[in-house]
Amino acid sequence: MRLSRRAAIRLGGAGMLAVAASRRRAQAAEAIRIGAINPYSGPMALYGTEVTHGYELAVERANAAGGVLGRQVVLLRGDAANPQQGISAVEQLAPSVDVFAGTYLSAVSNAASDAALRHERIYWDTNALAQDLTQRDLPNFIRSGPDADAFARGSVEAVKGLIAPALGREVKDLSVWIEHEDSIYGSSIAAAQRTLLQAAGAKIAGVGAHPASAIDLTDTVLRARRAAPDVFIETGYVPDGNLLLRTSRDQGFTPRATLFVGTGDTPETLSSLGAAFLEGKLVESYPRPDVAPAYGPGAQDYAEAYRRKFGHDPIAPQGLTAYVGMQMLLEAIAAAGSTEMAKLRAAAAAMDRPLHSYATGFGAKFDAHFQNIRALPTTIQWQAGRQVTVFPEAAAAAGVRLAPLSGRG
Amino acid sequence: MGQIVEVLVAGLLLGAVYGLVALGLNLVFGVVRVVNFAQGELVTLAMYATYWLYAHYGINAYLAVLLVVPALFVLGVLLHRLVLAPLQDEPMMQIFATFGLVILIQNLLLGITQGQALSIDWPFARTVIAFAGVNVNVARLVVFAALTAITVGLHLFLRDTMPGRAIRAVIQDRRAARAMGINVDRVLLLTVGAGAGLAGIAGALLAPIFTLSPAIGGNFILAAFAVVVLGGLGSLWGAYIGGLLVGVVEACAGFYIDPALRQAIWFAIFIAVLILRPAGLLGQVGAEEVGFRGQQ
Repeated sequence: MRLSRRAAIRLGGAGMLAVAASRRRAQAAEAIRIGAINPYSGPMALYGTEVTHGYELAVERANAAGGVLGRQVVLLRGDAANPQQGISAVEQLAPSVDVFAGTYLSAVSNAASDAALRHERIYWDTNALAQDLTQRDLPNFIRSGPDADAFARGSVEAVKGLIAPALGREVKDLSVWIEHEDSIYGSSIAAAQRTLLQAAGAKIAGVGAHPASAIDLTDTVLRARRAAPDVFIETGYVPDGNLLLRTSRDQGFTPRATLFVGTGDTPETLSSLGAAFLEGKLVESYPRPDVAPAYGPGAQDYAEAYRRKFGHDPIAPQGLTAYVGMQMLLEAIAAAGSTEMAKLRAAAAAMDRPLHSYATGFGAKFDAHFQNIRALPTTIQWQAGRQVTVFPEAAAAAGVRLAPLSGRG
Repeated sequence: MGQIVEVLVAGLLLGAVYGLVALGLNLVFGVVRVVNFAQGELVTLAMYATYWLYAHYGINAYLAVLLVVPALFVLGVLLHRLVLAPLQDEPMMQIFATFGLVILIQNLLLGITQGQALSIDWPFARTVIAFAGVNVNVARLVVFAALTAITVGLHLFLRDTMPGRAIRAVIQDRRAARAMGINVDRVLLLTVGAGAGLAGIAGALLAPIFTLSPAIGGNFILAAFAVVVLGGLGSLWGAYIGGLLVGVVEACAGFYIDPALRQAIWFAIFIAVLILRPAGLLGQVGAEEVGFRGQQ
């Protein structure tokens, strides 16, 4: 049989393509593929991308050290700005990923993790806060970051351990106003804060709820001002938090201490209010890279790696928590020797790392609902336009001092 | 007593925000008879333009009005020429088209800003006047003054000028107006431009007060629709009175009952008005047919 030159070229080309495809398949089989479910479009894109930046840095670090189980780790992005998109992103990625990670938005986490279960994939959540995510007891859901309850406890600890001493008062002598946006996020944190503060003996001067999309909060501020609380706690988002602070300024509402929860520590708030007005105000938030090295070993390395890769400072602290969460996931995969759901879950259950093992100051110990009980937020204070970690005391870097809490003296 | 005054003032200032956004919406509805769902997004565009002029060129928001309003007017003219006019025989399609614009503008701004919230921390907007124990933010007071001035100005324009009379003629009977030599198409074109220009004024004056996000227009427009219907479809003074009324009801409900219920309460009033007086408080029965009424 004779082959024409053209047929020979075609045959040779097809052979080369087949070899290349086979090599690509082999490489793909070797890599551990993680689907990163976050909003990369829509109003939360900035923060979704920031969370995934944390994943990227953790993955790069692991790959530079030889990978996990001798395999490289590859991240695949799944854009999800709402629950429907979360399901769709999981369905799209499921055939080609081993594990899912996420999520900046709790509502997306809820839907996406459910979809991941149908494909028997672990959904490793690093950032979503909603309390009920772990209460569902989904067999594929593990949360490495703090939950809403941790933020509520952290904020109350800040009142007890930071604000009360700074004001020279006992907690039982403090009156506290609890303000929150009225979705499940703000409501659940506020309810827990109220219970914990009452248990600590503090007087609850009032509880207020407002929509995050409110365009006027004067009535809210006037109610709080009438109650004249010593401490004003607010859980919300950036726009309503900024509006609340601006209205407080207009109405001369100056509680002795102001503590924001979850937001209020980003440049968006600084540009809205200015450094002078923010001076002394506190924010309960995800740990930042400025924590003391002994509290969060490697936090500075993260900040430097971030600057090298992205050319600017971290935009929000969520990235560091995501970075640590991805580190924990990769450790769990290494311990499990597999990405199989049951094995990975067992490996997570066996994790027992003390506090201050990671750059956020977190440890790793999962409760029966697979919530990491060693993931704790920290408290920052605005000082001269900078966010400085001040609480817990061990988290504050050397030389950091608490500035006056502002407000009426 | 002092507290009641504080709440009432807060309500009036909030109502002025609603009224200012509602004016443009009502003008376009009254004359062109199109419900422009994108009016909130035009306000948003004006807010971002004001922010941009402030952040990059240091132009303060009140001077920015001089640039933003003409730009929005041109945008309104283009909106009419390219979107509304080609669909003028298909009212439903016009509504869908403006709804499409909402999504287009929001996503355009998302693409540009990546969703980052932006604010103008302008010293003037921080100024507070204390009068009889009531604190009033000057930027909000300017909104109130602007709403009042624009409403009075529009009233006089429609009553006493030839273009105003032409608009009234178009409102009453387009065919007869055309027969009288009025260029109806030009009136409609300029009215949509003016509606967008009003959005420009609203955006420039509101930019120093709020934190900008691509979806912020939606926060205003829901209330503005309620104001338009409550005050009276197509009624100039209805938008003014309705806006202030909604603001006062919201502030009083928020302060004296529960902040979480403030919108629910004025929506309940809104529904009651619709049932008892479908044309709105100052509207005329069949206003959707009659159109804009600012001359009375």
